Amino acid sequence: MIACLLIPHSGIIAQDSVPVTTKQQAVLIDLNDGVTFEVSPHTGLMGSSGIFGLRLSMNYSSFNLELAGEQVIGRTANLYPISVNVILNLATRGRLIPYGAVGTGLLFAVPTNTIGDETVSSIGVNFGGGARYYLTSKFGIRAEVKQYITTVKSNRDLRDELLIFQEISLGVTFMFR
Amino acid sequence: MKSHRIFSLGILVVALLLTATSVRAQFSYESSLSLSGGAYAASGFGTNHYVGVRYNYFFLGGRYFVEAALGFSSLRSRVLESVSNLRLFDTQRLYAYEFVGAYDASPSGYIPFITAGFAGINQGGQSRFAGVLGLGKRIPLPGFLGTNQLGLRYDIRDHIFEQRVNGGDSFIAHNIGFTLGMQLYF
Repeated sequence: MIACLLIPHSGIIAQDSVPVTTKQQAVLIDLNDGVTFEVSPHTGLMGSSGIFGLRLSMNYSSFNLELAGEQVIGRTANLYPISVNVILNLATRGRLIPYGAVGTGLLFAVPTNTIGDETVSSIGVNFGGGARYYLTSKFGIRAEVKQYITTVKSNRDLRDELLIFQEISLGVTFMFR
Repeated sequence: MKSHRIFSLGILVVALLLTATSVRAQFSYESSLSLSGGAYAASGFGTNHYVGVRYNYFFLGGRYFVEAALGFSSLRSRVLESVSNLRLFDTQRLYAYEFVGAYDASPSGYIPFITAGFAGINQGGQSRFAGVLGLGKRIPLPGFLGTNQLGLRYDIRDHIFEQRVNGGDSFIAHNIGFTLGMQLYF
């Protein structure tokens, strides 16, 4: 608080502000122009549980290969889906790039509020779609809807139970070349 | 006592308004990294020290930015320790990670920026998904230590989430944090 009071009286004058301007291009994003990489942190909901996650992807034209990891914060346990996904870009040029995704991976359920329960892991598949909207050549917004399908062995009758989760997420994406 | 509180609140308001009277924000950098420290009041437990790091990415002329933050505090409660020596969680550690968006209507003026987003709060080994509301102000320090890349910032954040202790009824908790930090633009 003292620092905030003293700074205005120091006589410092900042350099002129220079707004960041995006270089005008005919096409902002062109996925056909070589390989690009994206880092996409995101948040969202899986059922009534909140999620945080990170996606790392390598883009080449119509196809992306993606590694995704998430934390789903539940009441009695946390779920950690880790998956490898293949993405088909429905457009390769322009600001808006919709896509479809399919993948497979592991789902780890780690209990937090119960005593005696162990971590349960299972293999699952996921599929869904979304869209990326680029505000600049390096930064954009990404929204996605996905469905996870996995099986776990029931403790009651030892039969496999089919579990289906729906996830909706919103995040940002940073593009690198 | 009431006049003392009003006086303290007035000092805080004046400090919030005077922070950017003679400086203009730097819009020429895309990112910043900041180290912050301050106080974090965990609802129902008390106020403890807080340290954290924040990464910001600025766009659209610096008026908008997204932020990822990680901070560490404690659930230590002197009231619970002195009254009953009660231990409600396995550990007193608390950490929070945030993912927020922000709008700075007046980067070189008086008005603080506002933030909104989501956070994951781990209190005593139990995780909670929280909403985040907050405000703050960036104060560039051009020429400080021979560079134009440094600045100060303060942030006030409210972590809002559903809390349940010892299997009792759930309630909405507000964890409030106030931090002051040094920011490096790049």
